Amino acid sequence: MLNKSTPTLRDGTRIEDLFNLETREVSLSTMYDPEIHQIEMEKIFTKVWLLLGHASEIPKSGDYVVRYMGQDEVIVSRDRKDEIHVSLNVCPHRGMHVCTAESGNAQVHKCIYHGWAFRPDGSFVGAPLEKEKMHGEIYPKEKLGLKKARVQLFHGLIFATWNQEAAPLEDQLGDMKFYYDIMFGKTHGGMEVLGAPQRLTIPANWKTAGEQAACDGFHTLTLHRSQFDIGNFGNISDTMDEFIPIMQGVNVAQKGNALRCISAATTFTSLIGSGEDFSKLSDLEKITKLPPPGIVTEQLLAEMKERLSPEQIHVCSVAPPQVGNMFPNVNLLFIYAPLPDGTLGSGYVIHTINPMGADKFQWITWFLCEKDTPEEIKDIIRAVAVQTGGTSGLIEQDDSDTWPHMTIAAKGAWGRTETLKYQAIGGENRPEGWPDKAHVYAGLSKDDAQWHWWLQYHELMTQ
Amino acid sequence: MNNTAEKVAPFEIPPINLPKPTDSITHYQIQQFLHLDAYLLDHNMLAEWLNILAPDLRYFVPIRQTRERKDRDKEFSTKLGHMDDNFQSIAMRVHRLVNTGTAWSEDPASRVRRFVTNVSVWETDVLGEYDVTSYLLLTRNRFYQDDYHLLSAERIDRIRRKGESFELVSREVRMDQSVLGMPNLAIFL
Ligand code: FES
Ligand SMILES: [Fe+2]
Repeated sequence: MLNKSTPTLRDGTRIEDLFNLETREVSLSTMYDPEIHQIEMEKIFTKVWLLLGHASEIPKSGDYVVRYMGQDEVIVSRDRKDEIHVSLNVCPHRGMHVCTAESGNAQVHKCIYHGWAFRPDGSFVGAPLEKEKMHGEIYPKEKLGLKKARVQLFHGLIFATWNQEAAPLEDQLGDMKFYYDIMFGKTHGGMEVLGAPQRLTIPANWKTAGEQAACDGFHTLTLHRSQFDIGNFGNISDTMDEFIPIMQGVNVAQKGNALRCISAATTFTSLIGSGEDFSKLSDLEKITKLPPPGIVTEQLLAEMKERLSPEQIHVCSVAPPQVGNMFPNVNLLFIYAPLPDGTLGSGYVIHTINPMGADKFQWITWFLCEKDTPEEIKDIIRAVAVQTGGTSGLIEQDDSDTWPHMTIAAKGAWGRTETLKYQAIGGENRPEGWPDKAHVYAGLSKDDAQWHWWLQYHELMTQ
Repeated sequence: MNNTAEKVAPFEIPPINLPKPTDSITHYQIQQFLHLDAYLLDHNMLAEWLNILAPDLRYFVPIRQTRERKDRDKEFSTKLGHMDDNFQSIAMRVHRLVNTGTAWSEDPASRVRRFVTNVSVWETDVLGEYDVTSYLLLTRNRFYQDDYHLLSAERIDRIRRKGESFELVSREVRMDQSVLGMPNLAIFL
């Protein structure tokens, strides 16, 4: 525990002291502390790969959207060569935002303040009064472009980092890439967004949502209890200590990334329940009976079989990855939802949790679908996903109203001394036939996977 | 005497191009209907509120983006919203709120008031159906807050005569925020 380099807060508390790795506790003060927040900005948000959006949001040359990396606004744009660039939305002249709209199309971004102009790749075009050398002669033009982040695409998802030394994104995803490939890489056409994202402000620390995203299974039973009460999650016995189907499955985690793979048999029986014995079916038959969101045509199903390995098909048929995160601030949700008419709708929801200070974050929510899913199915998926996730989602509206309480609690003199506990330990346990990818925790969803989130946070914060 | 002063503008002023509003009795009746709508919601009479919704209801709160003035026609998403509901899904929301006792996003319930003003009513091609716009100022207070979450919007409704009263056929709520300032829309607008 004697780590000299671990940062120290003004009151003498070392970052290291916020954790008890043995008892699996984290100080609640982490959920509101401007000093810790500042350290997070440096040690996490300027160091790791961050998700900014999806390539389908900016399909044409010159298209751009404005997003966040930590509290920095960035311009995400596509240039004439079809390459995607991420540049700081701060004018190097005197600090004005270069883009004031949140999306649009432009081959030249001209700062409205004194007119310096930049290309979609961030490079400096010039200043007005070229002959008079308005931009001076001290710096060459090459030095006057927007600050640029490194960019990497993952199945169309746009990631960027300020860290020039960072290993490729694959390193950050680790073995979990195997599962993310299942979620995002099933078809040749790939995914697309179903519209511009929802954005809302939540008066809470970003980690309230960040750590929950990493496989907090237990809150499903209580915070989302109404979903059982209205029959969306299958039935629940009143005694709560009986076998609870939706809690069964396989949690997988590594490097702060975690996913809950929920038993497909359970989903099948509770939502479709045709009386058929799902477990008797072959892997491919299972996927045909319970296809992932949008895989509704023969063609798409064939593509999925072609692109995924037999191991990935196996995971998908036994317990597809459904809920989880990507470290640090991405939340993924893939839902099978029953429609009022008895059929099955489903959709993909992706959130980023963007810190805006120690007690505020902006929640950005995208809804995605396979690009080649027929349009009329997309319309159903879009509506079902919006009714389930995001701003008004029947599931997620309970989450977003809970997080602010934790941050307020963390402001109290005694509240901040409380701890977050992750002591429901199941231990590693890999079912027969399940691939040896990441840490595997089969059975009832406990705290094992979620603890990985804090281990990763701890590692970065004490470096 | 004629006022001969010239109206000087640096460009040609276009005419106001709005259809003629409906008669004052219909206007008054529809205004009363919008008051009823707000009353039921503000007093948490959600189950009763379902009575005034049409079975073919479309309820949509589009995403709004900050765009340059030249792109203003692209401000509102025509496809994706913060809410996208029909009668069945609205009824499910109400069922969860009033019958489960576990709808935590609204339990304890928010204290909400809906101020509805600037009502305009136009006839449509369909007899007994009206296009109605109104302004909404909504205040929402929860828990310990000493201030309010505010939401202002224009509502574009289609309202249909039904017996002595009316029913809501469609509602599009055009919010004035591109980033919603409250943690959810667990309430109706
Ligand atoms: S601040 Fe942008 S041109 Fe001066
Ligand atoms: Fe949740």
